[in-house]
Amino acid sequence: MNARSNAAVPLQRASRNRIRENSSAAQLLIHVFFVLACAACLVPLLLVAIVSLSDERSILANGYSFFPEAFSLDAYRYLLGDAQRLINAYGISILVTVVGTLTSLLISSMLAYPLSRKDFPQRNLLAFFVFFTILFNGGLVPWYLVYTNLFHMKDTLLALLVPNLLMNGFYILIMRTFFSTSIPDSLIESAQIDGAGEWRTFFRIVLPLSLPVLATIGLFTTLGYWNDWFNSLVFIYDTRLISLQYLMTKTLLSIQFLQSNTQNSNIGKLLSEMPTETVRMAMAIIGIGPIVLAYPFFQKYLVKGLTVGAVKG
Amino acid sequence: MSVLRQKMFMIAVFVLSFSLVIAGCGNNKPASTAESASSNASPSQPSETTANGGEGKAPELEPYKITLVYPGDTPKDLLEVQSALSEYLKSKINATIELKPIDWGSWLEKTNLMFASKESFDIVISAATLGYYSNVAKGAYLPLDELIAEHGQDIQSVLGDEILSGLKVKGQIYGTPTNKEFAGANGFLFNKALVDKYNIDLNQINSLEDLDPILRMIKEKEPGITPLFEGNNRFVGSLVLNGQYDGLGDGFGVLNRNSGELKVIDKTEVPEYMEVAKIAHKWYKDGLVNKDAATVKDWGLMQAGKAFAIQQELKPGKDAEMSTAWGFPVVQKQLDVPYTTTVTVAGIMLAISKTSKDPERAMMFLNMLYSDKTLINMLDFGIENKHYVKKSDTAIDYPEGVDAKTVGYRNEAWMFGNQMNTYLFPNEDPNKWNAFSEFNKQAEKSIALGFAWDSEPVKNEIAAITNVSKQFEDAIISGSVDPEVYIPKYREALKAAGLDKVIAEKQKQLDEWAKNK
Repeated sequence: MNARSNAAVPLQRASRNRIRENSSAAQLLIHVFFVLACAACLVPLLLVAIVSLSDERSILANGYSFFPEAFSLDAYRYLLGDAQRLINAYGISILVTVVGTLTSLLISSMLAYPLSRKDFPQRNLLAFFVFFTILFNGGLVPWYLVYTNLFHMKDTLLALLVPNLLMNGFYILIMRTFFSTSIPDSLIESAQIDGAGEWRTFFRIVLPLSLPVLATIGLFTTLGYWNDWFNSLVFIYDTRLISLQYLMTKTLLSIQFLQSNTQNSNIGKLLSEMPTETVRMAMAIIGIGPIVLAYPFFQKYLVKGLTVGAVKG
Repeated sequence: MSVLRQKMFMIAVFVLSFSLVIAGCGNNKPASTAESASSNASPSQPSETTANGGEGKAPELEPYKITLVYPGDTPKDLLEVQSALSEYLKSKINATIELKPIDWGSWLEKTNLMFASKESFDIVISAATLGYYSNVAKGAYLPLDELIAEHGQDIQSVLGDEILSGLKVKGQIYGTPTNKEFAGANGFLFNKALVDKYNIDLNQINSLEDLDPILRMIKEKEPGITPLFEGNNRFVGSLVLNGQYDGLGDGFGVLNRNSGELKVIDKTEVPEYMEVAKIAHKWYKDGLVNKDAATVKDWGLMQAGKAFAIQQELKPGKDAEMSTAWGFPVVQKQLDVPYTTTVTVAGIMLAISKTSKDPERAMMFLNMLYSDKTLINMLDFGIENKHYVKKSDTAIDYPEGVDAKTVGYRNEAWMFGNQMNTYLFPNEDPNKWNAFSEFNKQAEKSIALGFAWDSEPVKNEIAAITNVSKQFEDAIISGSVDPEVYIPKYREALKAAGLDKVIAEKQKQLDEWAKNK
């Protein structure tokens, strides 16, 4: 008996030690893996930043490098040379993103909430219209015709706002699932018993309880609005109304085009003075802008909102 | 409770402010159109009276606004130049103009949507590379033959019948090309500093064999300099691709320039193709060419001043143009006699949109672009003494304190009408336009000039062949691979992708064209 238990003790200890060793080895592996994963994400960004600060000639001669021969601020100087346009485009992008995201959240949640209520008549019919748009859309030309010929939104700020507002059935799906799984029916019932009307229930009970999903969808739409250049491309002719991302795309494409096609000696001269390679990177850095700052604020809700939303009810 | 009330208040504020923004956006549009309407109207009132007093012909025409859609950036002083142009046009053809530049980057998308939505505009830039043939097939442009006969006599006399008929599609003209160089000639650009250093006589270089020892000498004496830079469609083999045959539109199924017969063949069968590829491969193996030749997508080493020579499609003054673009002097040497094909003629032109409300007026405007010096220079360079100052009858420069970067208006002069009527900047050869005319006269015209290839019946084959050619072409003509091995492979892959069918279809269309010519 004794001997057995004596033997058992070191055995247990050894196995515990082994587990500890294993786990620290595993831990190390995991750490290394995530350090590498982080590096894989950050290093390209760092390279972009360094290239944007490099001298154009050294890039032409040696290619991209973490240690460029010469540093230069030419790319930023070139972009800021047209500062008015840049600031203007920044303003448009921020305005559209803020207004668009808030409106989009309001509209989506106001559509998703009734769809989540079992006592809402015809909710399947309504839900069908939402799902239908996920599967089918009219195509580019009819889409363009609706906004230009029917709503006359060409060359207005609305053309940057509206097309993204009404497009995403998927977000509504996520929200509806969140509402129906995480807001108990009894809570709504008790609110009604206490005398709250539908509006009050929605704004003062349902929405405050749904911050995770609002933050998640909010982040998606913010990104969507911030990164949108296509609506500018298609609808906007007035240079005062174009968004930041489109300004960037446009500058890049114009440089590319001029480089391969220009036959105008003055434009040629302009191009020779233009830091074309480094400008691309500088634009990426400027374009990331505030959206990087927005991430930390949304992050804490993100996982919760996504996982809950992802469980389809 | 108070927290909740605060939140309600916030929501109310948000909803209100949003509705204000919406209202603001909504108001934006009518206000701006009203503004533009009034800005259009204001110059019209005084000039109408002058038009009545001055030109006899103008008052017969109803006032009309011509919309000109072209690729380019929107310059700061666009509206100012636009109203100056309008005022000038008022007195001539009682028309005003709206300039509608579209960025190069979104040109194809935007114009396609404009055509698809039947938006009304009058004149639009077109080119073989900007979808001229497909837009003609879609019916986006108006046929111009009658309009030119009636209101476009100057276009006819400036361009001549041969060039104009080079653009016919199914017997009708749909675009008027800019009067510029109508031919391509291949050759090389050389870094002038090195040419001078080694006393190289460019006149002695008339073939690739002549170039060979020079490249070898550069390699030996100038370590760190790549003797020949290749990449981005600038390959030794391009001498054959662009110079020895007429690609008949897409370059699949070609005419041998030297054969003199209308026989469509596989381009890999032209004997020069193998010859040049062999030379290129030898150079590549001997390290005379940059190693990444087949994949480079920019001017790379050449622009950085670290290469000696580059293959180029040349025209008079190309060396001066590239010298300014690169910031160091280069010199050019042409190896072929210039060659005019349908594609070089259709390089850039103006078309009248099917949605034009007054095509006759649009044609009058087009005609003026070929005959009226004041109009075309105003369109290209802006307003005298503000955007440029005159140095002589034909030469201009930027006003003091202004340069290419800061000038409030600029346009691409090679896009519109009669380029030979336009002013020249001091960094251009004052004799440029004469040299262009000479170059055009010298050019050998393809026997298939005017043939327009309709690839619609074989578009699946074309797609497959395009993929195959992406796989092989650049590697072969840059010399990166052994042509003895890869050209037969290439030929096989092309056949498998359906080249024979494309050639048969092209031959059929070509024969038909020749019959009706």
